[in-house]
Amino acid sequence: MRSSKSEVVLHLVLAIGALLMIVPFVWMVLSSLKSHTEITSYPPTWLPRHWDFGNYPEALKFAPFGTYFRNSLIIATGHTVLNVALASMAGYSLARVPFRGRSALFVAMLATMMIPTYTKIVPQYLIAKAMPFFGGNDYLGRGGSGWLDSWWALIVPGALTPLAIFLFRQFYLSLPRELEEAARIDGMGEFGIYAKVMTPLIKPAIATVALITFENSWNNFLWPLIVTTRDDLRVIQVGLAAFQQSERTYWEYLMAGTTLATLPMIVLFLLTQRYFVQGFANSGIK
Amino acid sequence: MDRQPAGSTRRQFGQRAGLAMLGLVAVGCGGPAPAKPGQSDKVTGEIRMITPIFEGSDGAKVLSGLMADFTKQYPDVKIVPDYTTYAKLNEKLTTSLASGRPYDVMLMGVGWIPPFAAKGVLADLGESESALTSLYSERVVAPGVYDGKVYARPIMLDTRYGYYRKDLFKQAGLDPEKPPTTFAEIRDYARKLTVRDGSGKLTRAGIDILGIDLRQGFETLMWAAGGDLFTPDGKVAFNSPKAVSALQLMTDIIRTDKSEDFGFTEPGAATGVPIVQGRAAMMLGHNNTWQEFEQNAPNLVKDGQVGFFVVTGERPALFQGGTIGAVSAKSKQQAAAKEWVKYLASAQPSLRANQQRGNVPALKSLVSSEYVQKNPAVQFAMKNLDHAYSEGGVPAWLQIRGDFKAAIESALLGKTTPQQALDDLAKKAEAAIASGK
Repeated sequence: MRSSKSEVVLHLVLAIGALLMIVPFVWMVLSSLKSHTEITSYPPTWLPRHWDFGNYPEALKFAPFGTYFRNSLIIATGHTVLNVALASMAGYSLARVPFRGRSALFVAMLATMMIPTYTKIVPQYLIAKAMPFFGGNDYLGRGGSGWLDSWWALIVPGALTPLAIFLFRQFYLSLPRELEEAARIDGMGEFGIYAKVMTPLIKPAIATVALITFENSWNNFLWPLIVTTRDDLRVIQVGLAAFQQSERTYWEYLMAGTTLATLPMIVLFLLTQRYFVQGFANSGIK
Repeated sequence: MDRQPAGSTRRQFGQRAGLAMLGLVAVGCGGPAPAKPGQSDKVTGEIRMITPIFEGSDGAKVLSGLMADFTKQYPDVKIVPDYTTYAKLNEKLTTSLASGRPYDVMLMGVGWIPPFAAKGVLADLGESESALTSLYSERVVAPGVYDGKVYARPIMLDTRYGYYRKDLFKQAGLDPEKPPTTFAEIRDYARKLTVRDGSGKLTRAGIDILGIDLRQGFETLMWAAGGDLFTPDGKVAFNSPKAVSALQLMTDIIRTDKSEDFGFTEPGAATGVPIVQGRAAMMLGHNNTWQEFEQNAPNLVKDGQVGFFVVTGERPALFQGGTIGAVSAKSKQQAAAKEWVKYLASAQPSLRANQQRGNVPALKSLVSSEYVQKNPAVQFAMKNLDHAYSEGGVPAWLQIRGDFKAAIESALLGKTTPQQALDDLAKKAEAAIASGK
């Protein structure tokens, strides 16, 4: 009896929490279906008086959103694939391969997580611009534009994150050493142990890193804005910013555009949520 | 367009980081850049332009039309626009300058010229200030001038002034043809126009001073009070007794008269513009507020129930921001870049740009244009440009301006007195000015 009561309370609390979480999304979707006059009326209405689905095509006409969606998808997918591949190798090395200076390297890697993004923008920009042999640059990175205004600048600088390395390391540490030793006795090489024995056991970590990377990359705004000048290389977040002009905001289009921009993330989360939750539980991050 | 977007700490941090970086860039740049042998004196070549206006498909269409017209005249010129927003313009400019790859043409806000000109980033347009004043109001030309040289031409203006609802004036027993003409009248009228329900909840603000950027609202009142941001020799003046009286007025409206509650609205609120909805009787507004009336309260417009007034204390004052065109000192296509800026600032192109955004043309001659004649808010602004004041004036302005909001809020919330809030702000500004020397 006691347990059923506590279960009811628990479910009630969780239901309230879930409601609080979902309200902004519901509000966004409902707002995307209101006319400009209604969305800026007071008091605000919950349900649209007239369901204005025209905001969606109008929002898509406001800027070349098809191109922006495609670009965001390419960049986010590129970041995700590269981050999972490279960070898992780095995490495995830091967890399972003994070498001199491993702890110091790990601490240094963690320290990079504490550098504010804004302080890295100009140095990263300069590195991208001075990339040798790209964009008309000579071997010393002079004379041209380097990686600026190219897919290289959009994909490479964000392709490996310290958070992903940290997560993978924690997962690899949690695996039993016997597995690794058995594989070694069977004559398997280090890369084989990493790829065929250990990594298949950390699917929650892969899902977690993939989801976090994709989300961060999808939501990235400042870096893509700064390193590109061409509209055909701009991303979805830069496109959404056009709805917020200095003297006015096109709320109805912003909400419609944001709803569309949120869809890939929701779909991805629904597909990976089981692993994602496990991932956070296992790595001790909440 | 000098508007400070609704500021978050992160954004402010970004702006400051950007400004710090601009300082570093400047060290690398050295003083004003002389014309280099590689710079072409012919109107040819590719011009890279950064623009915080002409956003969206409509804006891009207007710009594309202007580029086509210009290149008909100068077929050897190619213009490559880079669209951004005012919120991120500083970061874009700073990184491009830091990399030694500045844009040839930079469209920027009023108040931005001294910070960039002082670092030697901008090219002298070689124009005569006095010649320009025959085309523009003197106060419109001034933001593009630094150290006696013209660095930018005005393309469009943003103005802030008073709006009032004549129908609500009548309801409150006030003469609808007589908007307030002194600070005392502003307070008095606002008190009479304020409506609260039985529970004390504000249902109509007598005057809405929170619906535009707080800094810009304060500045409008400060200039009207006879104050100024800086002295002509670049010292902080916004904590003078006259300037303090402006913040005192804002504080009195909120805290003493309770003619508006803090948090009642904010710039760009998704809940709309209170004066348009009848939830405010007067407001300090942007010339674009007129479009909100036209779209959401067309009957008020049709019946002539919307009035305007220039805020007046010791003197009448209208806030003037805007977008101005400048050329990089390092541009190799300076002749073409200057010609393009001149073209953008000329009558028809600037009229098209202003029409697209509902803004105020800078050229005097455009007052007779159909667009201006059909837009009473723009017409009102143009007629009062002789009372216009602009932000900025010192090279450290972009660094200083972000701190105004917090200082004003602290006074409005009663955490500090207006004098204390502005004194604290003045100390920060003095430090920023000193660090730039």
